[in-house]
Amino acid sequence: MRLLQIVNAGKQLYKTFSLQELRKGLGVTGRQLFRKKTTIMYPEEKTPKSPRFRGLHALRRYANGEERCIACKLCEAVCPALAITIDSEEREDGTRRTTRYDIDLFKCVYCGFCEEACPVDAIVMTDIHEFHMEENHECIIDKQRLLELGDMHEKEIAAARKQDAPYR
Amino acid sequence: MTTVTIEVDGKSLPAQAGEMLICVTDRNDIYIPRFCYHEKLSIAANCRMCLVEVENAPKPMPACATPVMDGMKVFTRSKYAQTAQQGTMEFLLINHPLDCPVCDQGGECPLQDQAMDYGSDDSRFLEKKRSLPSHDIGPLIATEMTRCIHCTRCVRFGEEVAGVVELGAPGRGEHMQIGTFLNRSIDSEVSGNMIDLCPVGALTSKPYRFAARSWELQNHPGISPHDCLGTNINIQTLRDQVERVLPIDNPEINQCWLADRDRYSYEAVNSEQRLTQPMIKDGRKWREVDWETAINHATAGITTVLNSGSGNDIGKGIGGLAAASSTLEEFYLLQKLIRNMGSDNVDHRLQQCDFRDDNIAPRFPASEIQIQHYNNLAAVLLVGSNIRKEQPLLALRLRDGCNKKGTKISAINPVDFDFNFDTVESDVAAGGQMVRSLATQAAHVAQIKSAELPFDIKKIADSNPGFEQTANNLVAAGENGLIIIGALAQQHTDASLLKAISQWICDTTGCKLAVLGCANSAAGWIAQCVPGDNGMNAGQMLGQNGSAGLRCFILLGTEPELDSIDGKSALATLNKAEFVVQISAFKSASVMKYADVLLPMAAFTESAGTYINCEGRIQNAKVAVTPKGEARPGWKILRVMGNFLELNGFEQITIDDVTEEINLTDITPSCRLVELQFHPTLSSGEKSTPDLMESDSLIRVVDMPMYRAEVTLRHARALQQTADNPPPAAGLNPATASRLQLNDGNRVKVQNQSGSATLELRTNDRLAENCVYVPAGFMETTDLGRHVRVTVKKIE
Amino acid sequence: MEIEFNTVRKAYNVCLPDSSRDQPWTLKSYQANGGYQALEKILREKTPASEIIEALKASNLRGRGGAGFPVGVKWSFMPRDADGQKYVICNSDEGEPGTCKDRDILRLNPHALIEGMTIGGYVMGATVGYNYMRGEFWQPYEVMERAMKEARQAGYLGHNLLDSGFDFNLYSHLGAGAYICGEETALLNSLEGLKGEPRFKPPFPATFGLYGKPTTINNTESFASVPAILRGNGKWMNSQWFKDLGVENSGGVKVFSVTGHVKLPGNYEIKMGTPFSELLKMAGGVWKGRKLKAVIPGGSSVPVMPAINIMKANMDYDSLQQNGSAVGAGSVIIMDETTDMVKVLERISCFYFEESCGQCTPCREGTGWLYRIIRRINNGHGTMADLDTLLDVANRIEGRTICALGDAAAWPVQSFLKHFGHEFEAKVMAMDGLYAASAGRAGAAANPANATADSA
Repeated sequence: MRLLQIVNAGKQLYKTFSLQELRKGLGVTGRQLFRKKTTIMYPEEKTPKSPRFRGLHALRRYANGEERCIACKLCEAVCPALAITIDSEEREDGTRRTTRYDIDLFKCVYCGFCEEACPVDAIVMTDIHEFHMEENHECIIDKQRLLELGDMHEKEIAAARKQDAPYR
Repeated sequence: MTTVTIEVDGKSLPAQAGEMLICVTDRNDIYIPRFCYHEKLSIAANCRMCLVEVENAPKPMPACATPVMDGMKVFTRSKYAQTAQQGTMEFLLINHPLDCPVCDQGGECPLQDQAMDYGSDDSRFLEKKRSLPSHDIGPLIATEMTRCIHCTRCVRFGEEVAGVVELGAPGRGEHMQIGTFLNRSIDSEVSGNMIDLCPVGALTSKPYRFAARSWELQNHPGISPHDCLGTNINIQTLRDQVERVLPIDNPEINQCWLADRDRYSYEAVNSEQRLTQPMIKDGRKWREVDWETAINHATAGITTVLNSGSGNDIGKGIGGLAAASSTLEEFYLLQKLIRNMGSDNVDHRLQQCDFRDDNIAPRFPASEIQIQHYNNLAAVLLVGSNIRKEQPLLALRLRDGCNKKGTKISAINPVDFDFNFDTVESDVAAGGQMVRSLATQAAHVAQIKSAELPFDIKKIADSNPGFEQTANNLVAAGENGLIIIGALAQQHTDASLLKAISQWICDTTGCKLAVLGCANSAAGWIAQCVPGDNGMNAGQMLGQNGSAGLRCFILLGTEPELDSIDGKSALATLNKAEFVVQISAFKSASVMKYADVLLPMAAFTESAGTYINCEGRIQNAKVAVTPKGEARPGWKILRVMGNFLELNGFEQITIDDVTEEINLTDITPSCRLVELQFHPTLSSGEKSTPDLMESDSLIRVVDMPMYRAEVTLRHARALQQTADNPPPAAGLNPATASRLQLNDGNRVKVQNQSGSATLELRTNDRLAENCVYVPAGFMETTDLGRHVRVTVKKIE
Repeated sequence: MEIEFNTVRKAYNVCLPDSSRDQPWTLKSYQANGGYQALEKILREKTPASEIIEALKASNLRGRGGAGFPVGVKWSFMPRDADGQKYVICNSDEGEPGTCKDRDILRLNPHALIEGMTIGGYVMGATVGYNYMRGEFWQPYEVMERAMKEARQAGYLGHNLLDSGFDFNLYSHLGAGAYICGEETALLNSLEGLKGEPRFKPPFPATFGLYGKPTTINNTESFASVPAILRGNGKWMNSQWFKDLGVENSGGVKVFSVTGHVKLPGNYEIKMGTPFSELLKMAGGVWKGRKLKAVIPGGSSVPVMPAINIMKANMDYDSLQQNGSAVGAGSVIIMDETTDMVKVLERISCFYFEESCGQCTPCREGTGWLYRIIRRINNGHGTMADLDTLLDVANRIEGRTICALGDAAAWPVQSFLKHFGHEFEAKVMAMDGLYAASAGRAGAAANPANATADSA
């Protein structure tokens, strides 16, 4: 027993004075110095995002321009942060539509439940995560804005849905 | 009834021999799924959802149609039972659309719920689903017939409860469709209950369509103010807005039903014509002001009138009129306000025009029989009552009694109303003929009971026997008999006489009496919102029968030109009044003309208050939503007016303080006159109401259509579009019409002493001959006033 | 009136008259052959009802409408001495595909029915009878009306029959062509002017029938058999004679309507228990010299029997049941070897789909589903999974409905799949094979093994 302790102490002493750890570390540094760099120059450069990325919300439309949302209020019901407020009515053509669709981005926890609950893929979460607001009230985005977001990013949204479709 | 013991899922339960299995399990909280079974409807056993395993039965048995037998062993959750239930669920779902997200029933749908329990998560049905066209069946019910699962609850409701077969199931097999025959609309006054009964989203409420989801609604128990039953309602709100009204099951009052009037009147609360800001009239122009300015303006106006009187006359020119649907507290504070100003002119009986028995009146108009006993009567005599439209839920009880207990119902009415129960005898008598008909019955009763007929009745009674059975039925029924004095009798020019004769019959036969006042009028009487000995009644205040009328009015939730049967005098008196304060939830053109101040009042869901129904039941309603805009509860407005007028006794802080002031002890429902008096004008042989026989002019039959009787109802959009609310027309018996050479659809001018109305003619063989039916409650007919003799001329 | 006689191939003179009789539908001819003797004797001697019921029980006469409930027992259920109106109803709504026996009884032997019903009225204390005929029975209706007129004139119908003090009025009613109105409670609803939907039982018609009054409903053939039984082949009330004609549990003679692929289709009144092979021989055998493939022995609602089973069966209740089917309404549908069983089932299930009243969920939704699956299989778009679904759906309809129409729709499906499942599979496979072959042509793989893998 005692002998073992002495041997270990000796090894330790050698390690300390031969700067073994330091050289090991510098070795890693030296190797990385010549490898391909992984850091990116944000915001000029951006990391790739998963198709499941949960960013800013948007309301989608069908190809013929008809809004998808049918005011079933399931997203409102499922929202754990109570961030969604919907008013509905019968539109002139007899369909069920929202008259108001507000999301409070300050309340939203970006859990994506709304998207999951939606039976018609109307409310979706885009991959936009860079947004800001300058006035306090801007935290509430309304139906019109959500639809605009949807129109603007429909291509990306559709592509992401398609990519994720086999797993849904 | 013998008691037997059955075993359900290993638990032994007592049961009545012969009752259905599902009744036993329901009573013991054992859940059996069902769609077609409803405890208030007959058994159809067609949905096959309630199949359970019964020991020794060769096949699964429907719990709703299997009578229990001693020693029966039932398994509701066994593999066998569940396979049967799952099988049915699969069949129900194969043709049911998957549109739950847009279906108003979603979230409160028995099919949705039970599909979670008994349905599969996948469908084997690869064929095309059935889809059906939906038809417009009226302003109240939206249809989506593809969702229908053919449980026939709605059909059975119509046949059995409502008494009108409006929905049926034509077609066979898969082609069976629930629908109205020949694309007609559903016009029953209790049709909304079909929405509650429908287990899927096939029948939904049209005004509520897509407005909210069931899970986000908040429930507020309330009381419906529209008739004298005090129906218990569940006011459902979303973000401080009333979205829907549903019944609350109260077996003693409304059971699980609701009249359409109670169900859809909430639309008025959200109406565009709501008065939301105090307004005062500056010269001829109206402007919106704050409350202080408005009340100051109001008190200043009232004070001016007050000061113009002198000595004993102070305050005499002022009067208060309240709508019959006001709350107890509002009635109380209004009369307190008026009385503290030294006036006794306060009333809520705008529809009445014969006040001769006020000094001998009972404490409040009431039904001596409790509502829940209306199903168990032996004989009923309806005097001037269209009970089906006046108190729809009482009519359902009478119908139930008529069908199950054989209640013998007779009626004396100016119109042979289309009741939803069978009448044994029905006398169509208008005007003085109605009094005569009732007196004749009294004479019959006297003859049967060998009682002495008072001279006053004898004089009016007809020698022609008229009814043959009614008097016998009433005498035979005794305590189980009932005479109902309806709205038409109370609006009659000889109302006091009708009441007195009815009371004499009741006294002689032992029958019970019911005076079914409109809306919350029982509370109006109990709060003494009726004139005292020196006061003027509603008729006098509004200048009926040539009285002068008042100079200053405080109107609480009423538009007398439409609420009063004599709209012409009311409008004239109000227009010439010096100062009119209108406290109302709504504004209207005619009010804007005569009023000087408009104070926005909370509507019925927005204000707390006490309602007293015809059996003396005191029920409190709580606030469901905050009043729109600047509107305030009526009692608060009156209380503050009291302060501004510097009157004593207006220091209440909460509504409970007001309620406490009111003497609510010893409310026994009795509607008997304190002493039996037949009014002297009649005793001396004069008849204030012209008899049909003696006149060659026509008699106007007037009533208040069910959805015109209150300002709230007049603003309920969907109700205004129903068939029970047709545009005003002149009704004539076809025989009379042909005598006058008039045809259905002609434009006619109905004229009497006070004015005329140009209306379309509708022949109606239910009307008495030589009568013209012209409804009140419309501006078009206001001009006719209360004069009974009319002439009808065709306009080329 | 000219009435065709050639539909009756064999008659025993119980329900059907044989062709030796001239104009058997006339009162004269009926009386000449012993008609109305039973009624006259009963009315004259005031025979106690219980005696007649006992005689009927002893005769082993079972209801000829399909369920086979003993007539005597059924009649004894009626509260004979109870106050109030009671009714006797004859169910002539002969809608079962393949059946035409009641039509011939109504056309050729109407007086037997009238006598039978009048005796029924006497036994059960009913003074009113209704004869509910299917909507298409124009000629039988006219013949019946004429026979009733004759009977009325002769005092066998109407007020105070033959001065006995007993009243009996009979009325004919034509339905509107709904198969479901042959179900006894639906018939009652239809007669009352309501929609022809079966009522839930209990209460049974014997306590709560037409207009809520005690009612007995029997098939035309059952009623028409009664006079002959009571006449007892010359010996009054000799019901043993009738019983002995048949076999154990199935008394007497019965009319079988033989239809389908035989040389001589028509009505055969034969002794119960006659071997099927004999019946087939009487009918001239399978047409065109073909082989027998299958037989539905009791109308489309009973299970189908493959040739091997039916050839060893006798035409009586027990034997057919043992061999997996039932007597039903007695319509023997013969199918030869060329018959496409899938197509037959498609036709049968189409019938039940059209004729379901729509009241109960399983039948309303299920019959349509069955029909559509079978149609799909027949059109070559079926899959093997469809066969499982088909059987499962049929099982889920069976026994879950108010009336027996659900069962009637399910049984053919179950039995066809049981006995001829291979034909269904073949249809599915054939198409699979076609797909596979086309896939094979389109794809590069010429190997049949690959093609099979594709189709799987």
